[in-house]
Order: sequence, then structure tokens, then C-alpha cells
Amino acid sequence: MTTPKEKATPKEKERAAGIAALQGALAAEHAAVYGYGVVGALTTGASRSRAQADWLAHQEARDSLEQMLVKLGATPVAASPAYQLPFPVTGEASAVRLAAALEDGVTQAYLGLVAVTERTLRSFGAQAMQAPAIRSVAWRGTTVAFPGMPTTSANA
Amino acid sequence: MLAASPTTLPLFLALTACKGPAVLTGPPPVTDQTRMLLHAVTAELNLIWIYNKVMAGYSGLRPTLAPLLAEHQAHLARLRERVIEPPGKKVPDTVTRRPPLDGTADGALAQLRDAEQAAVGVLLSRLGGASPSLAQLYASIATSEATHVTVLGSRIRQGQAGS
Repeated sequence: MTTPKEKATPKEKERAAGIAALQGALAAEHAAVYGYGVVGALTTGASRSRAQADWLAHQEARDSLEQMLVKLGATPVAASPAYQLPFPVTGEASAVRLAAALEDGVTQAYLGLVAVTERTLRSFGAQAMQAPAIRSVAWRGTTVAFPGMPTTSANA
Repeated sequence: MLAASPTTLPLFLALTACKGPAVLTGPPPVTDQTRMLLHAVTAELNLIWIYNKVMAGYSGLRPTLAPLLAEHQAHLARLRERVIEPPGKKVPDTVTRRPPLDGTADGALAQLRDAEQAAVGVLLSRLGGASPSLAQLYASIATSEATHVTVLGSRIRQGQAGS
């Protein structure tokens, strides 16, 4: 017996993979928008200004991804009401670390798009990785050899 | 131990008898993907050469450049790991471009920044013909090089502000 999934054509599979990767990127942008609320609340001065600018950048990226998904006939994944932070964030130093971690998460999600075979999405993912990776460097103060790769810290 | 089945052996003999022995051909041609990978290796070698040259010429830039150079060496190692050496073709280990070094530290930094920016463009142009995992490696390296562009640009601005 065959299931509908087995009947999917290569084109349909490619489209489904693209939508799944876009949804992953959107989920990461939702998390970043939430996380920057925390970062903004615990930073001051130039760091707070940067957090506000980065928060806006993630909102714009989120909106773009939602539009892309709608154009593809998919329902964009919704933001969670709350997110568990990766570590306790209690002051400016940990807020700065959180900002870098958020950017790393978004970079990784866009790298997921590069694995799809559809060329436009692949190119979009590769281009979209750059802004969060650059913001991550700005927060962390150091570069990494393989942004977005799971082994980033090992290769830092 | 394998033993020829009495039912499959006649079939095998019939099939081979039809075509005769296959003619041995030369090694398979290098695929576009392998060719792109070899170009990427050479591009990293060229970048590493410029970094070493600038660091030798302007020792004051070492603290800024050494971490970026280490990342290029990591890129090179990872790219080399992906090469299955094509028959009759060695993985490149020589630099193909040796541009003259700019006469000032800021000029040399700008030279590095421009070389990094060019490398980003070349890597992104290779995504289409690459396997998913190789495309991700190219994209990650291109992103790393894009962060180098900003680090070098920032260092240039600091230098100009200080002069």
C-alpha cells in the first residue's frame, strides 16, 4: 500500500523541503525577536541601542519570511508565547551572551536553507546568514571559522 | 563461500557472451563539483598567502590578523578533507596569485578586505552546482569571510580615526 507521501514527485518534495527550511528560519527569527526583548531590558547605553536596532532587524526578517511562506501557499509558523532561555540571563554580561547566542541560532537556521536543492532559496539562505553572523561577531567580539555549523564553538 | 548457482550461471554466461569483455577506459573525468572544490582550495591558499605577507610586512597588524588567518587555515583544512583526489590530479598546494603588497598598513588592510569580499562572491556563485553539504560548507566559509570584511573595515576606520 502506498501513502500520499510516497507519491510525492521530486518537485513536490523539493517544495516541501524549502517550506520546512523557511519555517525553521522563521521560528529562529521569532525566538530572536523574543530574546532581544530580554537583551534590551538588561542592557544600557550603546548595547541597548544596538539591541534595539538588532531587534528591529529580526522583526523585518520575520515579516519577510512570513511573506515568502504565504507566497508559497504555506501557513507561517507562529511565535511561541514564551521561550526558555539557553542559560540564566541576569545582567548585562549574560544579556550580551544571549544576543550572540540568538544570532548564532538564526545563522544556523538560515544555513538549513542552503541544504535545499531549489537554487533561489539556497542563495537566499546563504545571503541571509551574513547579517546575523556579523551581528554575532559584534556582540561576542570574536569571529568563528564556521558560522552556522553545529561545531562552530569547537572551531572558534 | 560463494558458489555459482546452477540456475544463474547459464544466465551470466549468456549475458557476457552477448557483449564480450568491456574495454578498459581511462580515469573518469573530473566532475564540475570536484573542479569547484579544487578552485576553492586554491582560493583559500591565495588568501592565506596574502595574510602571511601582510603580517610579515606590518607586524603591528598581527593581533588583528592572526585569528582571521587561523580561520582561513581551518577553512583550507575542511575543504581539503572534502576532496577525493581525482586520478591523475593532485589537490592544489601552491599559490596562484601573489599580488604586490600595498605600501601602507591601511592600504594592506584594504587589500585584505577586498580579497575577502571577492572570495565571498566567488563562494556564493558556487552554491548552485554543489551537493547540499558542500553548499553548506561554502556558505559557512563565505559567511566567515563576510565577518572578516567587517572586522577589517572596522580596523581600517580605527586607523583612519587615529591618524
